[in-house]
Amino acid sequence: MPARRAKRTISTVILVLCGVTMILPFAWLLASALKTRAELVAVPPVWIPKAPQWGNFVAVIGEVPLFAYYLNSLIVAGGISFSVLMTSAMAGFALAKYDFRGRDVVFKGILATMMLPSFIFIIPVYYMMRRVPLAGGNDWLGLGGYGLLHSHLSMILPFAVSAWGVFLMRQFMLGIPDSLLDAARIDGASEGRIFWNIILPLTKPALATVGIFTFISQWNNLFWPLVIATSAPELTTLTVGLKMLAIAFDPNRNSHLILAGLTLGILPVTFLFASLQRYYVKGIAMTGIKD
Amino acid sequence: MSKRTRTAWLFLLPVLIFYAIFLVFPVLSSFFLSFREWNMLTPPLQAPNVGWSNYKYIFTEDRVFLKALSNTFIYAMVTVPVSTALSILLAVLVYGRRRDGFWRLLFFLPTITTPVAIGMVWMYLYRPNYGLINSILNAFGLHSLDWLNNPATALLSIMITAVWAGVGTNMLILYAGLKDIPETYYEAAAIDGAHGWRRFWYITFPLLKPAILFVFVTGMIAAWQVFDFIVAMTAPALGKAGGPINSTMTMVLYMYQTAFEYLNMGRASAMAYVLFVIVLGISLVQLRLFRRGGIESY
Amino acid sequence: MRRWVVVFMAIVALAALAVSPALAAEKIKLIMSIHTDFNREGLDDYIRAYEQLHPEIEIVKEVTPFEDYLKKIQIASVSGRGADIYHVYSLWGVELAKSGILDAPPPAVKNDVRKNYVPVAVNGVTINGDIWGIPTEIDNYALVYNKRLLREGGYSEPPRTWDELVEMAKKLTRFDSNGNIKQYGFTFLAGWESAVVHPFLAMLWSNGGEFLSADFKKALFNSPQGVEALEAQLKLFREKGTDVNGSVWDFPNGNIAMMVMAPWDENNLKTTMGERYADVGVAPIPVMKKPATALYTWFAGVGKSSKHKKEAWDFLMWLTAQVQGPNQTTRMGDYLAQRVGAIPSRKIDTENHPKELNDQYTATFIRELKNSIAEPNVAQGAEIKIILMNEIMAAWYGKKDARAALDDAASQINAILAKHYK
Repeated sequence: MPARRAKRTISTVILVLCGVTMILPFAWLLASALKTRAELVAVPPVWIPKAPQWGNFVAVIGEVPLFAYYLNSLIVAGGISFSVLMTSAMAGFALAKYDFRGRDVVFKGILATMMLPSFIFIIPVYYMMRRVPLAGGNDWLGLGGYGLLHSHLSMILPFAVSAWGVFLMRQFMLGIPDSLLDAARIDGASEGRIFWNIILPLTKPALATVGIFTFISQWNNLFWPLVIATSAPELTTLTVGLKMLAIAFDPNRNSHLILAGLTLGILPVTFLFASLQRYYVKGIAMTGIKD
Repeated sequence: MSKRTRTAWLFLLPVLIFYAIFLVFPVLSSFFLSFREWNMLTPPLQAPNVGWSNYKYIFTEDRVFLKALSNTFIYAMVTVPVSTALSILLAVLVYGRRRDGFWRLLFFLPTITTPVAIGMVWMYLYRPNYGLINSILNAFGLHSLDWLNNPATALLSIMITAVWAGVGTNMLILYAGLKDIPETYYEAAAIDGAHGWRRFWYITFPLLKPAILFVFVTGMIAAWQVFDFIVAMTAPALGKAGGPINSTMTMVLYMYQTAFEYLNMGRASAMAYVLFVIVLGISLVQLRLFRRGGIESY
Repeated sequence: MRRWVVVFMAIVALAALAVSPALAAEKIKLIMSIHTDFNREGLDDYIRAYEQLHPEIEIVKEVTPFEDYLKKIQIASVSGRGADIYHVYSLWGVELAKSGILDAPPPAVKNDVRKNYVPVAVNGVTINGDIWGIPTEIDNYALVYNKRLLREGGYSEPPRTWDELVEMAKKLTRFDSNGNIKQYGFTFLAGWESAVVHPFLAMLWSNGGEFLSADFKKALFNSPQGVEALEAQLKLFREKGTDVNGSVWDFPNGNIAMMVMAPWDENNLKTTMGERYADVGVAPIPVMKKPATALYTWFAGVGKSSKHKKEAWDFLMWLTAQVQGPNQTTRMGDYLAQRVGAIPSRKIDTENHPKELNDQYTATFIRELKNSIAEPNVAQGAEIKIILMNEIMAAWYGKKDARAALDDAASQINAILAKHYK
């Protein structure tokens, strides 16, 4: 069937074009990180640097504490993921496996929070973080110091629970047969033990999905870390640090260093995340389509 | 209260405490603050009550806010449909290919890359005098464009990048949706002689509808809160994010500047509530669409 | 089940403990907030010298890029971790004083400032009639040009009038086959509000116009003189002497013939241009009707939330007021003239720094001080200038004509002024 073959060719052409568009910015970034300043502003553009400037990377690492940025991102995204996993599993368990008055209201309420734009909390939460009693030089009324504002907790706590995580865990746990739980109860297991020893091991796939999805999205989060790091530069996460590259190195003079910094900031993580594609995709797929 | 019920509430406790502290209280406080003039340096309860003047100001005197509102509207109304349509196309094209894993990975890469970094790279690609995009245009005999440097094309440039970065996520969701369509449907269609376009229109599309709606509506909520791309693409090149001449100013960016650069917490809270009402409106439409799309769990 | 609650509480308690500050340090720690361009070689030597003189004091720099600096000062205060010492742009002083971030100096400091600094700098630290800090650097604007490019275009002298500049810029602009500019005759500063507004103010004043009324109640820049000044800028765009993509930061690449610049770019030009720095020439801004240029100042002050205000002021006075060395200058004067590349504001420093202030780059800026008009310390100064910048740029982009742009700016600015000056 020639028509069919033609169609196949057209679709291949479209896919290849789109694919090239997808990969080109990455390729350009990689090539440009190895260019000299002159090669970057050359007209017509230089595609591949004559002599790769590996020194660009050394120069960036010498000027910008990328390692500290990585560490901060790891602490923040890791802390949030851990907390989201625990709270989501507990709440998901309660909502999936217990029958009590108000359950549906709570569930719907949690789902509804997904519709709130985050800016509506930002200002009060920022102020609350400063006024946490007995932290950061504060007295028991929360006055006198800076509270949690200059600790990683200020970046972790406001995201410690995820409505999406609760939703996903509940959906997954609905699929665990009640008979398993009842059998355990007959054997005299406490509810806590059932949760820890039976439910959690069975929900490992869902936990992996929630954990990885949360980690990636928090790793890439900019807004809140930007607000916090403005007054606490030592908490600068990778996203904020990458944004600051443009300020640390004047984009008009040191673009080669900015691009080298961007390369160091995203390529390792992008490849790591790409290897976790399976879990991530499962996460987005489970959200809306299958219920 | 039975023991079981008590246990259930205990399991829910961390989440409930969190929502009380980090959601209910801040949302109410924001509403309170939107009627005050407060710079966060004084105790909030002593901030002077200014009535509705914050709301009045942003809608009557503040030209930047109205510009931000219209920019955000354009951004959402363009990027979301375009990205959805493109991702349907890509999902259908990739589905059933021999090396579909490779293609999915390709489109997946931008979706997991830090948006700030994507924005900064594209800022370089858009450079007027020695940028990659203009040199490609020139190679085809086309004239250079000013892209981010021109208020007429700046928002468009950002939308292109946003679609580029976001299309992969949508494609993967739709791809998962395609996989859920039982092969028997297609077999039955083939017997009836339905191929190609007809097959897509009568089988694929209706069965994919929940996924498409999901992509569309969640994309909408996110688009109304766009921030990262604007900051990354306009601040380094133009000094002030949202430029040139506020042509890329969006709601969340302007709120951020109002709150954390001008220390006008009251006005920023008022803007947040306006955005809230807008997003709520969209979400209500979402609920309705989802119900009609056959997803009851929402 | 109770076990879970206990575990949860324990985690919260541990977290709280972990973030409580370490026991108070024995030394008095002064945090000095400065911006990147002020953090040059040599500053640390002064700090270390002072710490040796006063072993009980430790001075810690907090360096922020200019782009984020005002935000950083404000948010640090809001977060409860304000600095002890600030070095700030005078125009911000109005807001910082009003919002209670800056401390009012002790009488001895005020008297010293009134007596020993050049008048424009004293004006810079004067807010509502009172002194709020110690003046440091003065910056004004001049025309910086590339002698080689001018020579290649057949010009031996920089332009003296704006008309000459437009004419020359047109001839010095070169295009490639795709219509892209590959050499700019002239580029405007852009990217932040002062960059756009200050050169416009210079032309406005040169044309006999005014910026704001003396009582700050009304914008005056949309007068016929103002419209004419903006028209003169627009002529450059229309005649293709420049475009919106030109960036002054390409000057070291050798493809920009002329730009309007401030003294602080000296070090950057020197380091990026190397031998070609010899091509750099500086001349007064071409006049419209009379010689004039814009000027702004920075000052050092102490934070109101500081727990060691006296120590902070003592350090600042040591740095800025104590005359020392063979040249009989102040440490701040030396630092500004030799390292920062700015003009010092203490009288004795302007008199005793002939070498650094008379070089190829800075000499013209010094000579132009007599024609320099200081930007006023008006409330909401940053916001006012952002509005003016956006309207000027709207005219550059051809979205509005000069009159409409300035009228629109004036009406928005008048609304802001009406709230603050009744």
